Amino acid sequence: MPQLILAALALFVLGLGAPPAAAAVDFHAAVRPILSDRCFTCHGPDEATRMSALRLDTEEGAFAPLPSGGAAIVRGQPEQSELIRRIEAQDPAQRMPPAAFGHAPLSPQEIEVLRQWVSEGAQWSGHWAFAVPQPPSDDLSQSDAWIRNPLDRFILANLREHTMEPSAPASKPTLLRRVTHDLTGLPPMPKEVSDFLADDSSFAYERVVERLLASPRFGERMAFRWLDAARYADTNGYQNDRPRDMWRWRDWVIDAFNANMSFDQFTVEQLAGDLLPEPSLSQLVATGFNRNHRGNAENGTDPDEYQVEYAVDRLETTATVWLGLTMGCARCHDHKYDPISQKEFYQFYAYFNNVSDRGRYYKYGNTPPVVHAPTLEQQAELDAFDDRIGHQESKLTGLGPEIAEAMATEDLPKELDDWVHADRLVAIRSFDEAGDAPDGVRGRAARLDGSRYFDLGNIANFDFYDPFTLSAWIRPEAGTGGVVARYKADGPKGYGLFLVDGKLQLRIDTSSISDRTRVESVDPIPLGRWTHVAGTYDGTRNTDGMSLYVNGRRVEVKSLIDESLNSTKIGEPLRIGYGPGPDDRFRGLLDDVRVYSRRLSDEQLAVVAVPETAAEIARLPQDRRTPAQERKLRWAFLEDAAPSHLARPWKDLRSLRLERENFVASLPTVMVMEERADVRPTHILFRGTFDAPRERVEPGLPAALPPMPSGHPNNRLGLARWLTDPTHPLVSRVTVNRFWQMLFGRGIVSTVEDFGSQGAAPSHPALLDWLAAEFVRGDWDVKRLIRTIVTSATYRQSSKVSSEALERDPENLHWGRAPRHRLAAESIRDQALAVAGVLSSELGGPSVKPYQPGGLWKELSNWGAYEHDHGDKLYRRSLYTYWKRTLGPPSMLAFDAAPRETCVVREVRTNTPIQALNLMNDPTYVEAARLFAERMVREGGDTDEERLGYGFLVAASRMPEDAESDILLSSLNRYRDRYETTPADAASLLSAGEHARDETLEAPELAAYTAVASMLLNLDETITRE
Amino acid sequence: MSISPSLKLTRRHFFSNSATGIGLAALSGLLANDLGAAEGQAGRPGLPHFTPKDKRVIYLFQSGGPSQMDLFDHKAALGDQRGDELPDSVRGGQRLTGMTAAQASFPVAPSRFSFARHGQSGQEFSELIPHIASISDKISVIRSMHTEQINHDPAITFLQTGHQLAGRPSLGSWLSYGLGSESSSLPAFVVMVSLGSTGQPLYSRLWGSGFLPTRYQGVKFRAGREPVLYLNDPDGFTRDDRRHFLDGVSALNRVHMGEFGDPEIENRIAQYEMAYRMQASVPELTDIGSEPDHIFELYGPDSRKPGSYASNCLLARRLVERGVRCVQLFHRGWDHHNSLPNRLGRMCAETDQASAALVKDLEQRGMLDDTLVVWGGEFGRTVYCQGKLTAEDYGRDHHPRCFSLWMAGGGVRGGVTYGATDDYSYNIAEDPVSVHDLHATVLHLLGVDHKQLTFKYQGRHFRLTDVHGEIVRAVLA
Repeated sequence: MPQLILAALALFVLGLGAPPAAAAVDFHAAVRPILSDRCFTCHGPDEATRMSALRLDTEEGAFAPLPSGGAAIVRGQPEQSELIRRIEAQDPAQRMPPAAFGHAPLSPQEIEVLRQWVSEGAQWSGHWAFAVPQPPSDDLSQSDAWIRNPLDRFILANLREHTMEPSAPASKPTLLRRVTHDLTGLPPMPKEVSDFLADDSSFAYERVVERLLASPRFGERMAFRWLDAARYADTNGYQNDRPRDMWRWRDWVIDAFNANMSFDQFTVEQLAGDLLPEPSLSQLVATGFNRNHRGNAENGTDPDEYQVEYAVDRLETTATVWLGLTMGCARCHDHKYDPISQKEFYQFYAYFNNVSDRGRYYKYGNTPPVVHAPTLEQQAELDAFDDRIGHQESKLTGLGPEIAEAMATEDLPKELDDWVHADRLVAIRSFDEAGDAPDGVRGRAARLDGSRYFDLGNIANFDFYDPFTLSAWIRPEAGTGGVVARYKADGPKGYGLFLVDGKLQLRIDTSSISDRTRVESVDPIPLGRWTHVAGTYDGTRNTDGMSLYVNGRRVEVKSLIDESLNSTKIGEPLRIGYGPGPDDRFRGLLDDVRVYSRRLSDEQLAVVAVPETAAEIARLPQDRRTPAQERKLRWAFLEDAAPSHLARPWKDLRSLRLERENFVASLPTVMVMEERADVRPTHILFRGTFDAPRERVEPGLPAALPPMPSGHPNNRLGLARWLTDPTHPLVSRVTVNRFWQMLFGRGIVSTVEDFGSQGAAPSHPALLDWLAAEFVRGDWDVKRLIRTIVTSATYRQSSKVSSEALERDPENLHWGRAPRHRLAAESIRDQALAVAGVLSSELGGPSVKPYQPGGLWKELSNWGAYEHDHGDKLYRRSLYTYWKRTLGPPSMLAFDAAPRETCVVREVRTNTPIQALNLMNDPTYVEAARLFAERMVREGGDTDEERLGYGFLVAASRMPEDAESDILLSSLNRYRDRYETTPADAASLLSAGEHARDETLEAPELAAYTAVASMLLNLDETITRE
Repeated sequence: MSISPSLKLTRRHFFSNSATGIGLAALSGLLANDLGAAEGQAGRPGLPHFTPKDKRVIYLFQSGGPSQMDLFDHKAALGDQRGDELPDSVRGGQRLTGMTAAQASFPVAPSRFSFARHGQSGQEFSELIPHIASISDKISVIRSMHTEQINHDPAITFLQTGHQLAGRPSLGSWLSYGLGSESSSLPAFVVMVSLGSTGQPLYSRLWGSGFLPTRYQGVKFRAGREPVLYLNDPDGFTRDDRRHFLDGVSALNRVHMGEFGDPEIENRIAQYEMAYRMQASVPELTDIGSEPDHIFELYGPDSRKPGSYASNCLLARRLVERGVRCVQLFHRGWDHHNSLPNRLGRMCAETDQASAALVKDLEQRGMLDDTLVVWGGEFGRTVYCQGKLTAEDYGRDHHPRCFSLWMAGGGVRGGVTYGATDDYSYNIAEDPVSVHDLHATVLHLLGVDHKQLTFKYQGRHFRLTDVHGEIVRAVLA
């Protein structure tokens, strides 16, 4: 009975009171919302707070006999129904909901609905959103000239139910402007307007739609709201809120929309791309979706606490975006309204709890797991490196026999004795001549007695993101003492290689005891014996990036602390034999101490640890040389003794490898998902707090939703496959509803984030189901879905409203006219830049910093002074604007942009004086007005009327009416008079912004046009999609 | 675009009238005020729930965690225990921050500062805050505040929004949503941060509207040429130019209104007029040059320095005089992990006189009867020393288990110390007051039943106090 459903629904949504007696009350639309909102708290899914045996969220519960006799609901018998008796009771002690708990009584209308529903037989069914969408059969087909595609039937049927008719089609300019804004976030340019007006063919509009869907601007526009949903930002979001780099994930989103990746693929790659078989780099980058949550780096943070928050955030975001469920409500107790128990919450949470990230995020930059994510250009460069390196390698392989022969036969020069591996060698001390001890590993060695150290001066000034290698030969006489370090031993800070209680330690420390990265060898270093020790670090700020070597071999290490958050740079010099404690200087012999400003490979470290000189190795019979010795000899030979046709390829290879290393270090990274090797156990957390674990649970899905289809793994990948199963009741509905919201300003379910019991009922349930089923049937094709909607007659209506229509349907609940609403924050700025003719068309890339009032960051936080960019970067689309999460761009937030701290899917629009101030006075818009004015004068024609008309066309995509032209012209003349008499003011007005001014135009004239251009930018029509 | 039902009626009424020929322009002036009031200026129907004691609130937020036992919570007996290990029984295995959890010992650091009793009520204050001490009989000191959060970000977010994670509306946003503003030319909720104060960062979520519509967020006033972002017209553009501009834009908007009939266009016109009024009212407000010398003397020499805490206190008074509902000051720098005695002294020198002056100034204008003033931070500090303890010097780590706060104003009992901590100012011994309790009490004083001020979001009827909150009746007059 769809008509009846719709009729009842509409009346209730409109709040017009009880339905006429003829119409049956619809359970979904009218009854369940009352039960949910007013009764479920105590008579719903949450067992802990259920006040009596009665539960009203299930059919069994609602009709079960009551312990007191009778039943809450007796079908057809309101007088026999305890529920009706209690809600109507006059005695507050009897009345439900109980006044004693502060609950207001039901309204007379609500009581009437329940009463009528019981009278009519109390039809019951499960919550609509949990049932698979049932696309209505085609018997709905009424034929009407107005209908352009099937979705129009639903709209028309609903309108006719209410004796309303659709509006006339929008004018061509309005329609073009609307669809261009909706699909690209930008206004049409004058040429596009005139082309469309000139195109009389019946497919003119469809042609426009295809052009827009194919535009790269489409992907950017679709990304606007996806970034909100994904809580994308350029900073971590807690405390000092320092930077991270997730823009390669943003690029991925834009590319995916532009390539029309199917929504199921879009889902699977973002939620579980890392778990796909042999995932591509792009699929790894996609998983950045669930690393976009905030990350806490505050000193003193308990990592376990935030590990929980991150997993909860991933769960809540995923549940909101795909399921339209407020699962977060079940974190501390069973859900009050929806069938999700606390246990089920943690079972679902378990899918997100096995990521190998850490509870305490880095203060600066990306926190592991991360991947290098080169852009296409960078990947090409990397490939070129690899080609060239491969070429040199094969060349050397080809020269192998010749090299071997030369090495064997050449008379090796004496200089080979001095050869050391020298790529990025920063310091070396061998004490050969000056050492106090005669018995060095080679030549003499340094003898230290626990009081002295060697000062090497201000070199090797590494910070915690610089890679390095430290190595030395040592013959210690005490178990504690410094080897080589830049380190402050008192209130330790800096880096260094040390012996501590017999073990070898590599440290990167700040003076805070909670802010350090240290590893230690599992086995001790022997006393009184020469040992080669080394530590390497790759600059990634975690102990995974640290290695220790003993006698050229990598040894097993233990991570002591893994929390480097702050700069470790200090003014102390590089010293040998100093630290770790103030009284812990080295005792024993030291020789051949080296510092490299890169992380040496295992192979290179083995060579560094070879004590024999190349010449000595050369004298050994070949079969008695170790591989490291052999390698050392070969490298020494190629570098210092080989003829140039042999030396050259080796030299080229070395420098290519170093260049590649540098290049790789400069590549952007992105945080990604990665499963832990061992499973992190998930427990139910009492009241949701991290330190109150209870029963252990395994990953699992809520019982009220469909089970995992067989054949899928019970992990995130399985979860993603489950979401995109064609029979999933929620995902397709929730998704098409979000796109509907994007195009109509409000969802068919207005609570786009909540399809649960407390969410709004769909205004057009059959339409929602039809769209959802079509979406799935069309293989989740996003462009197809959008094409279907924007080519409908419903979409093409005019947004003009008569007073009668406004009276009948003030909120436009029936869509008998096109919605008219303010543009999104991004579009308002992008449009101004486009109108000014300076909008950059660059696609993707790192975030940029457009104008922002000075000092905003500094006055609130200790990190970062906002310095705006210059040139083209000032004019890039707003989705590329740098987003500091705790202090977002003010001109975006003023226009209701989501703050990006948590997932937001609902579009909100307010109308405030702050917005007016922003549009009138922000230098962005004052500069745009000036550039727009230049454009009017340059391109608009010869007369004021022509120029103003052109300006109006550029800003509003139509020519002005006479009344409008008159107002503009009189304003222009007024400002012209004013600026001609005060040219200094004209120059001031034109000084906003960095873009060069067109000096060929007279200042007073341009200022007058600038004032009028600003008026055009401030028109309600200009910032409205209508 | 949620519009109150009364507004819808007004608009529809207006529209049908205008369509039948009553001049648009003639009505628009009247309507602009009406719409302006409805769009964020008026509160919720039915509010206040009962006659409020206070019409407005000034919250002096001391960010970083002021040390309670060096300012308000006197522990004379600790003097002999310098360097003694804090008994495990007191610490009770409770959570510490990662900054001191690994510390080998937890030596007691008694306050270096002397305390004395003040006023007829004889409340005890440290020598560091003589001016606050001088209003002893007007303020209620709560020594038994406690919070759930041990680090700054979550703790300050909890205190501002009732929840430690981002996404909830701030106290001021709730008030602005619930009660609206009494001013037609100023926002309902204004925030000021002391210029040049450093220390723990602040975040816009602390005055953000969370899931409430954006219009309820706090508007930050800044020292200097442009107190509100984008308030000033561009250089070379006078008030006259702006007036003409607005007349032109409004005229164009009305032409369009005639064609499209969308009442939102009238609302836009009204918002631009409100902006125009703000452009005049804000500079008038922030121009404190007209204040007499004795007022500057009352607030202290800093009050002549724009952006200082003292100057902001003075501005706070001017704001509430003009009908702003909620003013929130933030002063950073109370996070004294080390060198506490020196640094705390500096903080008190910056804030003590002006905080007390604000209360006195409100009183002499008769406004303390219906203005609430609250002074406090996000948590307290540990009795044990962080870092090196010497006779002169010590530091203290974060301490969520107890801290002190004071309030004054209409409906608040003066001269009362409420709640008590144990011998070490470590645990609460009597009458604990949670952050939710504080919020419930503040709302109560403003005539709001904290259980009834709700907003439905994600299917839930959210409130500032979540499912908690007991009014602290003992501090009510």
